Amino acid sequence: MAETLRNESVECELRQLVDELAARSMSDLQVDAAEARIICERFAMLPRLAAEADLGELSELGQSLLKVLEGADVTRFVPSLRDAVTQMQERVEAVFQEHKAPADTRAVDRIEGIATDEDMSLADPSLVADFVVESREHLVAAEEQALALEKVPDDAEAINALFRAFHSIKGLAAFLGFDRVYRFAHEVETLLDYARNREIVVTSSVVDVILASADFLSRCMDAIQGGDLSTVPSIEQPLVERIRKTIEEGTKPPESCVIASEAAPAIETTPVPQLLEIEKIEQAEVAPVQSAAKSERPAQIAVKAPQARSEAIEISAPPAEAKAQGAERYSIRVETTKLDYLMDMVGELVIAQSLVRTEILDQANPNSNLTRSITQLTQITSDVQRTTLSMRMIPIGQLMRRTARIVRDLARKFGKQVEVSLEGEDTEVDKTIAEELADPLMHIVRNAIDHGIESPEQRLAAGKNPLARICLSASHEGSQIVVQVSDDGKGLDRSKILKKARERNLVSDVQLTDADIVELIFSPGFSTADQVTDVSGRGVGMDVVRRHVEKLRGRVDVESRPGAGTRFMIRLPLTRAIIDGLVVKVGDSRYVIPLSSVREIFRPVESSVSTVQAKGELVLLHDRLLPIVRLHREFSIASAVTDPCAAVLIVAESEGRQFCLMVDDLIGKQEVVVKNLGCFLESTPGVSGGTILGDGRVGLILDVQRIEVRA
Amino acid sequence: MQSEYALVSKSAPLPASPRAGKYLVFHLGREHFGIRVLKVREIMGLQDITAVPHTPAFVKGVFNLRGKVIPVIDLRRRFQMPEIEYSPRTCIIVVSLSGADEPVPMGLVVDGVAEVINIAESDIEATPAFGNELDTSYLLGIAKIRGEVRLLLDIDRALNVSQFEALTKFANTASSEVM
Repeated sequence: MAETLRNESVECELRQLVDELAARSMSDLQVDAAEARIICERFAMLPRLAAEADLGELSELGQSLLKVLEGADVTRFVPSLRDAVTQMQERVEAVFQEHKAPADTRAVDRIEGIATDEDMSLADPSLVADFVVESREHLVAAEEQALALEKVPDDAEAINALFRAFHSIKGLAAFLGFDRVYRFAHEVETLLDYARNREIVVTSSVVDVILASADFLSRCMDAIQGGDLSTVPSIEQPLVERIRKTIEEGTKPPESCVIASEAAPAIETTPVPQLLEIEKIEQAEVAPVQSAAKSERPAQIAVKAPQARSEAIEISAPPAEAKAQGAERYSIRVETTKLDYLMDMVGELVIAQSLVRTEILDQANPNSNLTRSITQLTQITSDVQRTTLSMRMIPIGQLMRRTARIVRDLARKFGKQVEVSLEGEDTEVDKTIAEELADPLMHIVRNAIDHGIESPEQRLAAGKNPLARICLSASHEGSQIVVQVSDDGKGLDRSKILKKARERNLVSDVQLTDADIVELIFSPGFSTADQVTDVSGRGVGMDVVRRHVEKLRGRVDVESRPGAGTRFMIRLPLTRAIIDGLVVKVGDSRYVIPLSSVREIFRPVESSVSTVQAKGELVLLHDRLLPIVRLHREFSIASAVTDPCAAVLIVAESEGRQFCLMVDDLIGKQEVVVKNLGCFLESTPGVSGGTILGDGRVGLILDVQRIEVRA
Repeated sequence: MQSEYALVSKSAPLPASPRAGKYLVFHLGREHFGIRVLKVREIMGLQDITAVPHTPAFVKGVFNLRGKVIPVIDLRRRFQMPEIEYSPRTCIIVVSLSGADEPVPMGLVVDGVAEVINIAESDIEATPAFGNELDTSYLLGIAKIRGEVRLLLDIDRALNVSQFEALTKFANTASSEVM
């Protein structure tokens, strides 16, 4: 007990010390001699404190650092010092984590033991939440960079960005005490460090490892968010092995140094994690002759030989990093609730503005200053509205690149050669839409690779380029975004689809048009795969696509030419917050029907309407019988038009089924801002939300699908 | 849930007067109610209310409160009192109910508001039991001010959101059975 207490106080002191060191070395690029001395003194305290805490490893670490610093011109090594301190900081955290759950202190063994130790962070939940968000962003960026790297293996920018991503995750994880994440990220970082120093060549197997690591870490993030890191299966051991093997293989032919100066001729390239470098320096004390060259590689701590080395440091202290960061767009994180509030207020502003405007234009002289001012105000308001809406928009490129990653993985799995091209990555779309689009896109590319694209041999036989192409493109079309996935595979197999559909009794033997056949692939449980694989064949693909897209108030279309390929087109509103709506009148009430589900509007003639058992009503339109749903009956609205021939029928479509909604009259087409009905009204059947109409009243937005299901 | 309520209303006087404080007084017919000022967001005249289908009868509908869509409850219908024509004094009190994550705004249609009064603990008496006929669990107590009775409403209980959800569901199943 007494011992733990002492340890805690020492721990506290140590932390303070390291933090101070960090602050000092970070504070400015220019460190003067006096400051340098203080830093050295501080470092000198480290081993003593660590020894006191019975942290042998840390003590050794401190001593070796101290030796490195002694006699060197500290001011010249500020960048490397900074790195050393950062590492020190991480180390202190890590060691204390370990200390709480005792483990071997030798770093090598520690890494070996990764899979066993699953401590959770006791850190502030909001910090943890930030960590998860940030790490996810890093992982997404890492994935993109990894793919970029595969195309251009010596893209220094990409390697640096990758390194930064894993390094940031590592640092944050260490800080918050997610030891597993920290140690794993560290392994990846080591691999990347070799790549950064061009000691291993980035092949696609290296990219594979990096991607697998990113996947593992993102699973960790999910688990951390779920509150329990230990739910992640301990799969890192094989991964770590893979990473190490990659390093080993990559470094086998000992390429001579890239960063080396003449002073260091032979560099040993054994796979040594970066942190261990410090230990190496320590070993250098024992065998100083060999180790001079050994400690050369990671520039950070190789401060020993004064002249030539310091240059190496200057060169490799990443200037690219600064450049890359400068190029990033400035942005700030804003809570979405604030954006929503702003949007509400702007909506109100527009309504208030239009009320004032109508009033003024009615009364004032068209040439008066007042009229001119109000016109200007109108313009400003609409500008403000547009800007507000655009704040929720993000470029769709990230999503497309993520999909490209899936294509890559699947193509390898199926032994197909696929090249992905992206178009319109800058097309902006509401963040929530982009998120919801991920699943449908995944299913579509899966489908394309599994069913659409032939094997290289088949393609050759068909006189095609063995390298297949999948093109993802996005563009704006009015107030919609159109996302297309096209492949140059064999197209939809009509006969196979028909055969399967007959087997499953989905169709009778009537004549089917092409559109009908395309329609079939969207039916639930439908699959033409001969055998069920983990990729497709369970038939959950295409109907998921359709359901997702319709949920977002969009639609999906398919075009296919036998032998030439298939194209999926997804049309979505730019934002979930605004939809194109058809405003209709029923009795005294007005409702908004999402235009995306409206197919046709007509007024029937008496002869085309028929009843079934005096209850159900049907109308004949283009040789098809469609059921009529009377909205006034559905919503119990009095004083509505009851004669279908005096009313208006709106042909609505949901999940491929069409029916007619009967309303009194049309008022117009309007873009409406979708609002939540709030608390207990949210689950009201037939109503998906509300909106503020032009006169300031609330109009209800109809949930066409649920009306159809209920009716 | 139900038994918890019963426990609270039957138990001995609550410690250290959480009931004393400022109340907004409004009336429904001849009954005067008090509602904690802290729960009140604003008071406004009658607005254009849009009816929402498939909801319990006491839900008047929704209205636009500066860009937000807020549900409105007719408090008379909620307390099974006879309906009357709305008068110029009829108004909407917007209250904040305690929701699961954040306060839930809701409008209450009442016959009129009177004043804001300070009620001391000594003015408050426990709600008498009226037998099973009358559920008084949503009353904090009864205050006597200048010889008049004010029913102190526990608005979170009177407008229990989760209860509404159940009611909405019930209304839905009922209406779909009719069809």
